[in-house]
Amino acid sequence: MTTTRPVSKAESAHPEAEVAFAAFIRRLAHDAATLRAIKSGKVDAILDPASGRAILLPEAREALRRGAAPANQILATLPREEYQRLLAAGLEPVTLALGEVLHEPGELIRQIYFPNESLLVSLVTRIQNHGALEIALVGSEGMVGLPVAQGIGTASVRAVAQGTGTALRMEAARFCEALGTCLALQRALHRYTHALIAQITQTAACNRFHQVEARLARWLLMASDRLQSNLIRFTHEWLADLLGVRRVGVTVAASALQQQRLIQYSRGNITILDREGLKASACECYQKIKDIFDCA
Amino acid sequence: MRRKQIVQPSDPAAVATVVMRLYVAGGAPNSVQAIANLEAICQQHLKGNYQLEIVDVFEQPLRALADGVIVTPSLTKLSPLPAAQVVGNLSDQSKVLLALGLQGKTP
Ligand SMILES: [Zn+2]
Repeated sequence: MTTTRPVSKAESAHPEAEVAFAAFIRRLAHDAATLRAIKSGKVDAILDPASGRAILLPEAREALRRGAAPANQILATLPREEYQRLLAAGLEPVTLALGEVLHEPGELIRQIYFPNESLLVSLVTRIQNHGALEIALVGSEGMVGLPVAQGIGTASVRAVAQGTGTALRMEAARFCEALGTCLALQRALHRYTHALIAQITQTAACNRFHQVEARLARWLLMASDRLQSNLIRFTHEWLADLLGVRRVGVTVAASALQQQRLIQYSRGNITILDREGLKASACECYQKIKDIFDCA
Repeated sequence: MRRKQIVQPSDPAAVATVVMRLYVAGGAPNSVQAIANLEAICQQHLKGNYQLEIVDVFEQPLRALADGVIVTPSLTKLSPLPAAQVVGNLSDQSKVLLALGLQGKTP
């Protein structure tokens, strides 16, 4: 899926005011460390000792005006007025914690979620006497609760948050209502549905034919793409559950990848050290799923 | 977003409760991210053994100024000493762990 990230520049009808404001910010940020922090784009506001007020930086102001720039790639492709219509209809930010269940099979989907890049959600199916198996991974490229968009109110799988992260969520009924008037969102969700089915299809074959080490490599790459980070927070128990193998199987596979210096893991943390190397260790499924997402 | 205080009850048996204050700018994107990043780090590395206060600089700017905060998000570790500060959305986990004095404890 191609991403058209909104350009975070304050739009102003008065360029002189904008220049003056930039100079004002520079005056407040008189030391090098503060200037660096502002340039990094990782800060939002600056304190003005003279007025005793906090002042939003232009990027943050613009993001808030838009209702926070959507980090979710489906939302990011929408025209601004369509996104704002969704916000007005009740799309709201939410923080989810590790293990939080967003929907259970056979139950009504009450909320739909658009994960931000900090959140991974696993779609998991359970087989009696065999435990759970992940059938798809949803992150900032997708949406949780997709059946709702097709007029289906009941979930067929469990959706569970993999670690703490943020998302935008909306009540299913209100989402359905809003979707009727959001043509760009309809198109984006058609593309995503296609890509998700492809992911599930490939995962089904992968789980049957590919070795744990290659599947672990695939999973780490997919997670890393969605988190836009080389750091993945995870435990062996979770991974074993997701890959449908015993914990020891994950330990052996992770050790092998670590010995090749492709990843480094410590309790709950996996860092990808060598992305290209990990790609070479992953099964073909990673690239196949990625290609379909990129083209969709 | 109006988040005032998140205080985790500390475990009295534990040695050093980490006391932190996070200054944020309302619901601005980096601030929202900083909260999520910090919560993840706390959950993972501090279990229940911390106190975190989240202060919105739009509600309490003078308090931030008094604390020497120039830009937000800004995380201050108050105790155990030495005090330390990290500025930004806290996406660099190793930097946060270092500031919190947790670096050596996680291999
Ligand atoms: Zn495979």
